[in-house]
Amino acid sequence: MKTDISAPVKRDDVADKLAGLTCYIGDMRNEDMLYAKTLRSKEARAKIASIEYPVMPEGYFIVGKNDIPGRNRVKLLLEDWPFFAEDVVNYIGEPIALIVGSDKAVIQELIAATKVIYQKLEPILSIDDSGLLPIYGETNSFADYSFGKGDIDKVKRIAKYIYEGTYETGYQEQFYLEPQGVIAEFKEGKATIYGSLQCPYYIKNAVIDCLGISSDRVRIVQATTGGAFGGKEDYPSLLAGQAACAALKANKPVCLLLERNEDIECTTKRHPSRIRLTSYVDEGFKLIGLEADIVIDAGAYAGLSGVVLQRAMFAAAGVYNVENLRVHGKAIATNKVVSGAFRGFGSPQAFFAIEMHMEHAAKEMGVDPMEFKLQNVVKKWDKSTTGGIFRDKNLLPEMVQRVTEMSGFAEKKQTSKKPRNDNKRRGIGLSMFLHGCGFTGNGERDHIKAHVKLAKNSRDEVEILISNVEMGQGINTTMKKIAANALEIPIERVIFINPDTDRVPDSGPTVASRTIVVVGRLVYEAAIELKEKWQVGAVQEAECSYQYPEGYEWDNDSLSGDAYTNYSWGVNAVEVELDTLTFESKIIGVWAVFDIGKSIDDRIVKGQIDGGIVQGLGYASMEVMENQQGRFKQRSSTDYIIPTAMDIPIIQSELMCQPYSGGPFGAKGLGELTLVGSPIAYALAIEDAIDAGINSIPVRPELLMEVMADDKKY
Amino acid sequence: MVEVYKPQSLKEALELLEFNDCTVFAGGTDLMVKKKQWTGLEPCFDKPVVLISEIDELTEIKRDENYLYIGAACTFSQLIESSLIPEFYKCVFVEMASPSIRNMATIGGNICNSSPAGDCLPLLYALDANLLIQSSCRNFEVPIEDFIIGPGRNILKSGELVTKVKILNSNFNIIKYRKVGARKSTVLSKLSFIGLADMEDKRLHDIRLAFGAVAPTVVRNREIEAEILNMYSMGLVDVQEITGYYSILIRPIDDQRSTAKYRKSSCKRLLEDFIKSLL
Repeated sequence: MKTDISAPVKRDDVADKLAGLTCYIGDMRNEDMLYAKTLRSKEARAKIASIEYPVMPEGYFIVGKNDIPGRNRVKLLLEDWPFFAEDVVNYIGEPIALIVGSDKAVIQELIAATKVIYQKLEPILSIDDSGLLPIYGETNSFADYSFGKGDIDKVKRIAKYIYEGTYETGYQEQFYLEPQGVIAEFKEGKATIYGSLQCPYYIKNAVIDCLGISSDRVRIVQATTGGAFGGKEDYPSLLAGQAACAALKANKPVCLLLERNEDIECTTKRHPSRIRLTSYVDEGFKLIGLEADIVIDAGAYAGLSGVVLQRAMFAAAGVYNVENLRVHGKAIATNKVVSGAFRGFGSPQAFFAIEMHMEHAAKEMGVDPMEFKLQNVVKKWDKSTTGGIFRDKNLLPEMVQRVTEMSGFAEKKQTSKKPRNDNKRRGIGLSMFLHGCGFTGNGERDHIKAHVKLAKNSRDEVEILISNVEMGQGINTTMKKIAANALEIPIERVIFINPDTDRVPDSGPTVASRTIVVVGRLVYEAAIELKEKWQVGAVQEAECSYQYPEGYEWDNDSLSGDAYTNYSWGVNAVEVELDTLTFESKIIGVWAVFDIGKSIDDRIVKGQIDGGIVQGLGYASMEVMENQQGRFKQRSSTDYIIPTAMDIPIIQSELMCQPYSGGPFGAKGLGELTLVGSPIAYALAIEDAIDAGINSIPVRPELLMEVMADDKKY
Repeated sequence: MVEVYKPQSLKEALELLEFNDCTVFAGGTDLMVKKKQWTGLEPCFDKPVVLISEIDELTEIKRDENYLYIGAACTFSQLIESSLIPEFYKCVFVEMASPSIRNMATIGGNICNSSPAGDCLPLLYALDANLLIQSSCRNFEVPIEDFIIGPGRNILKSGELVTKVKILNSNFNIIKYRKVGARKSTVLSKLSFIGLADMEDKRLHDIRLAFGAVAPTVVRNREIEAEILNMYSMGLVDVQEITGYYSILIRPIDDQRSTAKYRKSSCKRLLEDFIKSLL
């Protein structure tokens, strides 16, 4: 039926989820199923001298590096991450082996009775050059990139103002509601993995390599996934390979589920970062040059760090037009948990740095930060950091205008300066940001090459066959809406089932805010094709493959051209009230405007906005994860604190729409954008309240106490 | 398998405890976390468990002319809903954990867990609460500060049960409570402070000050309080001197929740603010 696609419809997954009826991986049972528990490294860096296992009772197995028929490497970007540690361990929690059997109590005793003899090595625990034996290569960095444009040396000579600052961000744990888990079984020479996951084909490729068998003998089935936020992009490949080897050895299905605290301590986190920026400004307050030096803490193995670093580097100039630019970035290996994918993927770190920097630079020059920022915002036909072109109108100035109205920004800026006598201070901050949607650079064109299929049955129901997953973000509903709308049939006649790689083509992973804008577009096009050839009662199919849009260019060697084909935009304001006795800050207002092109479902969009903003506010305020001698101090759900509904006021948000012609109905990406801006607005609000500079997040009260005691300005 | 007893009366419970070394289980909100194992396995109780949460004598709230008596197995939700409980107690209780935990967790459990961060403890210390302890052969009363002797440690012996909390009715008209945690709900405190004062026409009759989570046990000191009363009566209140006294007693640690420095200096500022509010 032709209706406005933005009008909310009922999500058909929600009733069962609310009633607790939905079957997650932890609810799946099989009579023969064995359980697996991971023997983990207790050392941050050591050689494994020997492992003394107790005698395994009948039906119990050790599964380790020698039980991998194929390659002991998780297939990701570089080939360094083992499924099971070989001769060395590189972080506390690194898997050494699985103990597998039918009785969990027995498995637990066997693990406790296992002795690993280590020869300790001096661990690398910081991103500063340690002079210690490198973990990776000769320079100990997994990635080291540079790019630039214009003539930075010239602007250095002519700039009237030069401003330099260093910004740091901490770890963040995804804290999905459902911990990670897979079940693997091996029947008639074929491995099937059921799991809580984002990227069925990543896992398929990893298991093919791990088992050393052909593609037709590996099948991945997504189990309903209770949240992921990027945490189930990379890590499930490791779990799937381990469980597959265990199922092969035991000749029975094997269930490998992580416990909550095990998941917090051992799986991937957001990369901590340190970013140094130097900006060059002329006498008219035009930002004429920028140098950025970005270092991210990658942890023990490369994982996805190279692409996380690229996204951070491409975002180095934020939403600002800079014609002369030099960016250098490194992903450093450390003996800590592998840093990985997390909503925003390098971008939250870079935006925090540039937004704080612009604010501080403006204050230093004695100009209004908002005016300085707006004066330098990119406009249509301006070039991106990599020399790509912004082809659509940028609504940021209107969005800033609207957020300032909604929040009463100007007035609050004034009142926050008035002295009070109740041990409270108020402050308000505003951030401007963008997110390039879809894979970075040539990813969609050369690596992913997404392919989708629609299959119509004789009852004229249409099934969407894609490898993207519902993980709480609503694509079960939005994809059906796109297809139903294009086909002009009721949404009830469109079917979406959790992907199974034996049934669905590879439409790529569920990441990078690409699902709606890239895959949704392909579903739309396939639907239009199916509609044109529609025969009542006939079994029919329609397929569609990704085409790189005309007129865009990308060169992966020089990192130049259009890093993204479309951009979503956001403006956030946050108001805080700070208690000067305890330095606790209460968030008293959040206002947001986003341009995500056409909204596919206003209620689902609102869910993403609220969730992303809250996750960003947690990142900036209370989500503290400190590493001490290679071990996290906050390693349980009791100690790693994320916000609750009590900590966040009602979020006032609106949409503005600059459609993207390459997205379905003009839609752009949404999921990650919503997390990028709130940490910055929060930090700026705190700055406004205390009238001193914040250069790192999380801004916990302990830090604020030091900043205020220092009395250091910016 | 865990052996579980569910006595129907206090007498039956005490008899059970006399002859069996058991783990007493009230709300279970701390115990179930401590004893949790790999999901799917039973919690690892090494002794038989005695459930006491439904024993009538332990869930009563009573008030007479002089005292308030709170049954040890009263849940915090029950206390929050009771008309016999003064409002300022409730301000402390509503900041504990989350609604679902308050529905299960008991005041006796919070006391016997004896954590320095136990949320109801600073209030009970400040109120001079006494605990009624019973076993099948004797009953006795002990002040809460003599009951708790260290982090997670108290004087309760095998066979004994804390059955009631007894609090003298009092008249405080200035009340300040602050729980400082990393978020507003479901959080363990970094530190907490309670200040109670009875003040009339600029005359201070009584003052009670207690600090949680900043030393092995809750910090409260009657000599300093007496000295403060003395300072007020003389009209010579020296805030610096007062904070100096407490500075010796407040000995927090660095841990995964906060830093010693933050805890100590926040206590100092909260104390200064409270004292100044009385001037």
